[in-house]
Amino acid sequence: MTDVLRIRDLNKSFGGIVVADEVNLDLHAGRVLGLIGPNGAGKTSLFNLVTGVVKPDTGSITLDGQSIDNLPIYQRARLGLARTWQNLRLFPSLSVLDNVMLGPRDYPGERLTSLIFDARGVARRQAEEQDRAHSILKRTGLAGVAQSRVQDIAYGQQKLVGVARALMNDARCLLLDEPMAGVEGQAYGAIQRVVRDIAESGVAVCVVEHNVAFVRDLCDEGVFMFAGKVLARGTVGELIADPRLTELYFGT
Amino acid sequence: MEYIVTIIILVGLFVILAASFDLIIGYCGLISIAHPIFYAIGAYTSAMLAKEAGVPVPLAMLIGAGAALVSSILVALPSLRVSGDYLLIASIGFQLGLIELAKHFHEIGGAGGLTNIPPFLIREVGREAYAVLVVVIAALTVWFVRWMATGPYGRMMSALRDDELAFSMLGRNAIWVKVSVFGIGSAIAGLAGGLYAHYFRFIEPDQFGLLASSAVLTMVVVGGMRTTWGPVVGAIVLQLLPQAITFFGLPPSVLGPLQGIMFTGLVLVFMFMRPQGLVAASDLWRGREGGARHD
Amino acid sequence: MLDLAIASQILWTSFATSSYFVLFALAFALVLKVNKVFNFAQAAIMSVAFYCAYVAVRVLGLNGFFGLIACFAGGIATAIAIEYFGFAKLRTRKASPMFVFIFTLIVSQFVSYVLMLIFGTWPTTIFPTMFWPVSLVGGIAISAWDLPALAAMATVLVLLWAFLRFTRWGQFMIAVADNADLAELYGIKKDRVMLVSMAIAGAICAVGMFLYGTRAQVQPSAATELMLFAVAATIIGGIGNLWGAALAAVVLGLVQNSSILFIPSAWQGFMLYAFLFLAIVLFPRGFHWPERASKLKRKTVTTLPASPSEANGG
Repeated sequence: MTDVLRIRDLNKSFGGIVVADEVNLDLHAGRVLGLIGPNGAGKTSLFNLVTGVVKPDTGSITLDGQSIDNLPIYQRARLGLARTWQNLRLFPSLSVLDNVMLGPRDYPGERLTSLIFDARGVARRQAEEQDRAHSILKRTGLAGVAQSRVQDIAYGQQKLVGVARALMNDARCLLLDEPMAGVEGQAYGAIQRVVRDIAESGVAVCVVEHNVAFVRDLCDEGVFMFAGKVLARGTVGELIADPRLTELYFGT
Repeated sequence: MEYIVTIIILVGLFVILAASFDLIIGYCGLISIAHPIFYAIGAYTSAMLAKEAGVPVPLAMLIGAGAALVSSILVALPSLRVSGDYLLIASIGFQLGLIELAKHFHEIGGAGGLTNIPPFLIREVGREAYAVLVVVIAALTVWFVRWMATGPYGRMMSALRDDELAFSMLGRNAIWVKVSVFGIGSAIAGLAGGLYAHYFRFIEPDQFGLLASSAVLTMVVVGGMRTTWGPVVGAIVLQLLPQAITFFGLPPSVLGPLQGIMFTGLVLVFMFMRPQGLVAASDLWRGREGGARHD
Repeated sequence: MLDLAIASQILWTSFATSSYFVLFALAFALVLKVNKVFNFAQAAIMSVAFYCAYVAVRVLGLNGFFGLIACFAGGIATAIAIEYFGFAKLRTRKASPMFVFIFTLIVSQFVSYVLMLIFGTWPTTIFPTMFWPVSLVGGIAISAWDLPALAAMATVLVLLWAFLRFTRWGQFMIAVADNADLAELYGIKKDRVMLVSMAIAGAICAVGMFLYGTRAQVQPSAATELMLFAVAATIIGGIGNLWGAALAAVVLGLVQNSSILFIPSAWQGFMLYAFLFLAIVLFPRGFHWPERASKLKRKTVTTLPASPSEANGG
């Protein structure tokens, strides 16, 4: 089992509020890890720290053995780190397909030099990526709305667009921030199936989610966070069964 | 005849300026109004090279564009690294500061302006040829901006405008994209500056100040941001309107402010009555390979 | 070579002239803090205030007191008009910060062209003369303008501080500055508060312009440069920090005026732009575009009770 992402002794606080307190965590290839814990436990903050949105006070993070501590967000993404956002962050002025087409981590059509000096190569890559986008849209059940604007489709489908966009990265490590919040019906099953497939293809997946049933069905393992600390790691079933954690979760 | 040719050249130059400015402020969403200063840098560089160093005019113009490119990057890079919004203040400071500086340099004509700039094409072939050159370059600029905006690069700029953080998370270097677009737009403005200098053969620091900024801004806002034809329509309308009032034979002390009032007043009217401009942009980006699309 | 007497004279004069710089910076910083607008239209407010005083004193032949009243009326009315017909409308339409900024810039240009058309571009002053009797105190020449100017500045500073600290409307303004939407939930009428804040900024500009216009010549485009000075001071002083902006204005005024000792006077005008540049290069952390700053809050840590930008004291 290979560690794709390795977090060591990560600390971060804003003023008096600690969002990461000596966090140590590994994400393994082909496995889905669930992050659970009450609101404010530091789950999303952990994603922000890993992706470089927020700089940690101390600690180190490696992706595939390479330190990413000093890399800006976009370089981390280019190394194969992809994420979705709690509040979606889709591009409203683009169609579903074009949102997804921004997913590939490196796209020669967006480099002026390639556009001018290697038009043929650009066209070839463009066709390849377009095919890939269409196949991902099909997998996520979005083929029918490919040309729609993102704000015109159902919320569950919007979540799937976020996942599809992240999938285009062909990432080594995928972070999903509350993929199920507000999602019901068809999209529910679709998201679950897609995440399963990604993990089986050898990607390390980490999911922040409040929907306990979803986490239990999907995740190989779970981590319980509270006040920026990793309190426990085990199967999701074990974590849920632990009365101490349940108390913290629903606590006073 | 000469009058009409001159008007055509002016319209052409403003089409180049407005289209390249639309790339910066419209498509890329970069807030800056200092576009005329890069026009000035192109004009002064080209004029000085041709006049003092005897550099062939076409080459001097290209070097002028290069100078605009380099200086725009020098302004944009430090400010954009901090935050996109710094660009505005930095560029206004740069624009007004450089104008102030130019007024004190007698080597480049000082406040009185730079005279006797070597002409180009006018004597050998004629004014009409120069007009053709300007119109061709204007058409190329419009085509180039459209080509950038409707290809994958345009899609990327749309995404960057929508959400910079999500954009970065997809492996795109937002600062680099912004600096590139700012540089390209400014280089085009620099080329237009060279074209201006070698036709009119006189330039002065004050013509590149805030009046010029509001003129170019007005052309884009009134014409319609993020559209191919908006800046063209804006440049034509707003170049011809002030020309029209010159026929009344007003003294310059009235004419200048009146033109200023017209430019700025039009922007105000449009901002509140028709914010999308004469040519309205779609709020959904469409690529040029959009034949199969349907909504 | 540097004579102590000359040095102290320059220091004193710079300090006295910084009085109006402080006021312009205060007005700019206040609107930035409360209305969350980078209000380049302040130049318009300043110009209108000056020309109102000019018309009252020089055209209508009224005395200085009525000149000051006219100055206030012009400044406050312009400020209110800009807020009421401009900012408020743009807020309801949820116009982008860029759009609002362009609006402020265009308004200031528009007003300066209108004034040029009416008054021409010839520089002028509120009173026929701008020479004030001078008395020597310990070898330093103190003009009859200096002390009233400094007193006016101090009065405005104290009044503004007391207003923000002790009055209900002052508290409302601070609440709106902190979080306008939250303030609205508590029943504070955001639009009213922003109107008041603009009116106060207009009044402060009026005092500043009255001081400036009794000591230096003004033309329709002069306010733009004075305002850019306020922008530089606000950036250096730190966004949201009124007193920091005021202090920065004093320092910048001192530096600009005393620069005459080191560089030719022709270059003094250039100093302003150097300040703007240095402000951005050296003091970037003092500066946040307000709309963006609040967006950033939502971006970063959504699960936190306090946002990082607040916690960092930004």
